[in-house]
Amino acid sequence: MDRILKDGVDRRGMLECMGWAGTGALFTLSGGLASSVALEGALAAGGQSKQIGLNFLQISDTHIGFKKPANPDVVGTLNETIAKIKALPVQPDFIVHTGDITHLATPEQFDTAQQLLGELNLPIHFIPGEHDIVDLTNARPYLDRFGKETKGDGWYSFDVKGVHFIGLINVLAFVNKGMGSLGAAQLAWLKDDVAHLSASTPIVLLSHFPLWPLFPEWGWGTSDGPQALALLKRFASVTALNGHIHQIQRKVEGHMMFHAARSTAYPQPAPGVGPGPGPLVVPSEQLRSMLGISTLQVTTSVAPIAITDSPLAA
Amino acid sequence: MIKFAKPAFAGTALLCLALTPALARRAHAQAMPKGDPALGKTLYQACMGCHSVDENDIGPKHRGVVGRKAGIVPGYNYSVAVKNSGIIWTPEKLNLWLTNPQKLVPGAKMFFSVANPKQRADIIAYLGTQK
Repeated sequence: MDRILKDGVDRRGMLECMGWAGTGALFTLSGGLASSVALEGALAAGGQSKQIGLNFLQISDTHIGFKKPANPDVVGTLNETIAKIKALPVQPDFIVHTGDITHLATPEQFDTAQQLLGELNLPIHFIPGEHDIVDLTNARPYLDRFGKETKGDGWYSFDVKGVHFIGLINVLAFVNKGMGSLGAAQLAWLKDDVAHLSASTPIVLLSHFPLWPLFPEWGWGTSDGPQALALLKRFASVTALNGHIHQIQRKVEGHMMFHAARSTAYPQPAPGVGPGPGPLVVPSEQLRSMLGISTLQVTTSVAPIAITDSPLAA
Repeated sequence: MIKFAKPAFAGTALLCLALTPALARRAHAQAMPKGDPALGKTLYQACMGCHSVDENDIGPKHRGVVGRKAGIVPGYNYSVAVKNSGIIWTPEKLNLWLTNPQKLVPGAKMFFSVANPKQRADIIAYLGTQK
């Protein structure tokens, strides 16, 4: 099994119907200025921009193997997620999974995750979370399944329809309050990887820990993230997608948009609320409104990339 | 934090010197707020990304942790740093651990910390009930 779980699905154009979008807002990035607009309005505005026919979907933090009070049935909520995706009128071109595929990186948990996600019959590009690293130090089991075509400790890039996707690994060494780090070798690779690209190439970054200092007191950041972002400063559109936070958090800085996705397994508290980051127990009827996925549309001109976050239930 | 300047012990310097070890122990204990195990049980949810009471996870299981020697739970793969720390997990040590685990045991796997002293005490009080 290589980095892409499954391949060979035809592209079917833009995701026109948001299906279970519910209360999700659609964010656009235009000329470096972000705007959040209602879904209806955003779809109307989207008609004025040139579609390049690329849409993809982000899922994150499936935590297969977790079975504590915050969600004793993470397989169940992943199955619901998969059913929602399969029910979309237009399938995404591919899926990105921003880590913590499993809870403890056991062979059984990886098997279950692969089996369930395989039912999507879509290509999936993975990066690992710290929970996918055995004993927080051994990435080999993850790499053997998902990282065969990767460089170094598992980083990689690929291009789809003129968009350059970069998968970064920031879960192998921790600093301060548990922030992730990329390391000199990966930064050197990144510099080289983007050197040949024109500044107009849309960049999509995938990482598990946020590359921006979302809340360093809880380790929600990447110690050398600023160095990575400095290498990408010349690009007109940079979208950084991460997991780990188990809730939607966004920030826009210049031409860069940062987006932390929901988990499909359990929510976590807002930054700084409560004793620390960890599973948040909510009434069961509220759980599905705090889990979900993000759909992303790539357009040119008016709105290079739009993100819609969709809970499993409104 | 160890605070020696307690009003109850503001006696003569001679008395203070004579009682220094006992005072230190008592002052150390007093530096921790009294924990509420019921509140701690709720706060413990935050620990459950990596721990549980009865199963090893990212971190070792917690049943019996208060008073236990560090690094001895069967079936859990400890860092060398914790295994060799020689720590006994008294409430005071757990308080230091939860304040900044990397300061207490550099090289430990755990980075998670709890900034609020009362919340730390509550969590430790809860762990104390899980014998």
